[in-house]
Amino acid sequence: MAGLPSMPTVEAIPIELGRLLGAIFGVAIIAGLMGLAQMISARAADRRLVQTGYPPRTLLATRLAALGGVTVVVAAVNYGVLWLTISPGAPVLTFVFLVLAGLVYAFLGALVGALLPRLFEGSLVVVFLAMMDAFLSGDSPLAADVPEFVEYFPLYHPKELLQEAMFQGTYTTGDLGFVAGYLLVLLVLVTAVFGVTMRTSGGWSA
Amino acid sequence: MSRTTTAFTIGIKEQARNYVLVALLVVLPVSFITLAFAVTQDVEMPVRTLVDGETVTVMRGMPEVHGVIMTPITSALIAGLAGLFLMREAKDTDGRLAVAGYRARQVITARFGVLAAITLIVTGVSVGVMLVDFQPEHLWWFVAAMLVVSVTYGLIGMLVGAVFDRLAGMWLMLILPMLDIGLFQDPLFIQSEPEWWMKLLPGYWPVRVMVDTGLTTDVDTTLSLVWATGYLLLVAVLTIGVYYRITQEK
Repeated sequence: MAGLPSMPTVEAIPIELGRLLGAIFGVAIIAGLMGLAQMISARAADRRLVQTGYPPRTLLATRLAALGGVTVVVAAVNYGVLWLTISPGAPVLTFVFLVLAGLVYAFLGALVGALLPRLFEGSLVVVFLAMMDAFLSGDSPLAADVPEFVEYFPLYHPKELLQEAMFQGTYTTGDLGFVAGYLLVLLVLVTAVFGVTMRTSGGWSA
Repeated sequence: MSRTTTAFTIGIKEQARNYVLVALLVVLPVSFITLAFAVTQDVEMPVRTLVDGETVTVMRGMPEVHGVIMTPITSALIAGLAGLFLMREAKDTDGRLAVAGYRARQVITARFGVLAAITLIVTGVSVGVMLVDFQPEHLWWFVAAMLVVSVTYGLIGMLVGAVFDRLAGMWLMLILPMLDIGLFQDPLFIQSEPEWWMKLLPGYWPVRVMVDTGLTTDVDTTLSLVWATGYLLLVAVLTIGVYYRITQEK
């Protein structure tokens, strides 16, 4: 996307928009894959830890903390690369919104890992999900005529927040509220799925 | 039934049971090609192509250009993954076929026959989906270039499968066609003379043919198709050599 030339017939600013989309896609895809890997390894190992006496809540907290930590690092790297080419209007907000986009995908990756607990197939799903999401939510000339339900895609509002923080140095509370709600719903789902995965009584361990 | 036919039939059945490949074949063409035509902003874009033997810039609709590029990406991506799967399976099993009395050329014919069959299906589906929204100016030239780029990427997938495991290979085969066809050969992105190294990529010659025969009324890229076929033959020779060596090691 960063290679898009200036297009006199197109209203957006393709090069800067392309860089921004690249950053948010990079964070989403890596965080999503980390979430997937975390859930798959949780299925393989954490149930045994529960059987040896570890509380599932502690295990979930450590998994989420690791996921959050990795997401912050990934966002920092992507932010650094972005910062080389564009000076953000609000640097801290830009970084925070990149982290939020990463967290959304980290949780989504964990959910995919719960439903499709194989690294090969799961990573294909995460990659195509992030790819289509970034493409359709991106507001680029290559995806301009998108239906309204794209607003509910995971990256749509993080991208809106990021775009505003980058180019105007502000943010819209409505977008932030939407992302917070999205994260909350995903967190509840991940917690529920993790709880089911850690259930040990009445059946064989996987 | 000859040994080659038996190995070919088993190979086809094996791939038909590969639900990842089948799912990609069902989902990808519609989600990549149809979507590209549906959502791209309907404005005219400058496109560099050959007209009467000279490189000129013509104005074409951005959805058509985007669609013309997404069709080979889809096909190359699926064919590449198919090649990867084939080589991974060949690494595990084909050495045993040699022990069971198969001759190298019988196994090679069967395996490459399976790749050719899959590529034909993938190309057919991709072009079929594209035709719903867009009719190239010279359909059969376009299809020929599609076949060449898809087989080339199928063979590259086999080469990747010889070196990397399924997961790492999949990542490579997802990234390669995207970067090559979707970025370095895309006339929406590259609007001046391409760098020399872009011309060495597998997509360069076939995409030139597709842009020319898809978007202009005259065919000016016959020589490009010859170069593309030469590139394909080179990759084929390399792949057969690598395949022969890998299956011999078992």
